[in-house]
Amino acid sequence: MLTVAALGQPELSARLRGPGLRLRTGPFISCIRSSVPALGPALERMYGDYPVLDNDIPADFDVLLRRPRGLRRLVKPQVFFHYDGMEPFQPLPLAQLYPMFEWAMNWCVSSHAHSWLVIHAAVVEKEGKAVILPAPPGSGKSTLCAALVARGWRLLSDELTLVRLDDGRIDPVPRPVSLKNASIDVIRAWAPQAHLSTPVADTMKGTVAHMRPPRESVVRADEPASPAWIVFPQWRAGASAELVPVPQARAHLRVAENAFNYSLLGAAGFTTAARLVDATRTFDFSYGALDDAMAVFERLLAERR
Amino acid sequence: MTSLPIWRLAPGQRLQYRCWDGECVLYNDLSGDTHLLDEFAVALLEQLKTEPQAAAQLAAAFELDAQEEDALLQTVLDDLAALFLVDLLPC
Repeated sequence: MLTVAALGQPELSARLRGPGLRLRTGPFISCIRSSVPALGPALERMYGDYPVLDNDIPADFDVLLRRPRGLRRLVKPQVFFHYDGMEPFQPLPLAQLYPMFEWAMNWCVSSHAHSWLVIHAAVVEKEGKAVILPAPPGSGKSTLCAALVARGWRLLSDELTLVRLDDGRIDPVPRPVSLKNASIDVIRAWAPQAHLSTPVADTMKGTVAHMRPPRESVVRADEPASPAWIVFPQWRAGASAELVPVPQARAHLRVAENAFNYSLLGAAGFTTAARLVDATRTFDFSYGALDDAMAVFERLLAERR
Repeated sequence: MTSLPIWRLAPGQRLQYRCWDGECVLYNDLSGDTHLLDEFAVALLEQLKTEPQAAAQLAAAFELDAQEEDALLQTVLDDLAALFLVDLLPC
């Protein structure tokens, strides 16, 4: 299988400028085109292990990141995002090219992937059992996800949990893990071996950097996982690690609140969420230190062996 | 002579629900909403699914005899009606 790294920078750039780079991430194929030279090296750093498909393969998402036309680009360097010819977002400063690419790719999935119940949640797996981490921004979800992945849990996604409508299993869509502000240095210290992108300051989410997924997570992107736990994390300074069971009916409502397309799917969304809650143990989880959190997740796993 | 109001499951409701430990979530086929209900409310809906009934029949079915319990039944029926899960049969 041809990968981004094997393609090499000249061919990668040529595809981005020309017919598009057909990049496979889990079940999705994206055709990425860009006139911005910096995107090629960024993709090579963060997506080196990902499969690349031939130029004639149809894509699920057709995206373009481009510089503005005309002389204005010399005064105010920006990047524009287009999806299927539409421009769903305002342009961002050129320095935010790579975060914008990641946000745009998330948007492509959350707005269009209605063959799954798509939950705004990180999801990682070990020994065939997946833990879903739904949470609003600021809860420490991505930090926890990155820490678990750095300790050997397989990354399925840090943002988008894809629950199959037919059998309730979770399809991976592993992509770089988004880290914000203080969590960047937390993960640098926690996992010095992790590959992080260069932090970009002053974005709408503050300073952001992305952690490259381990190769194994990318290679196993076609292996679904069975949900075993839904854990709603909340980081609090100095808090001890504590799991508190969430009554299942309440957990169902919270899954619904965190899903992008629960209402759109109608009864299928309800049935899928109910089956997910049936198949899992559901907890609120507060934590203040990653070491403590890791021990809790390993204990959960040991209890299911 | 006036007849007693008869409650029925709202037409179009299929009663898709799931209960755990006394709490239920129910999918509203008309609004697309998901409601958190207790088991009594769901049992009422199941009772009305079998056939439309007057409140007195429902009270008898659930062996409610005190005035206070009848008031509770009326409150739950009114709540379910507000969610478009039940309504009164047209005269």
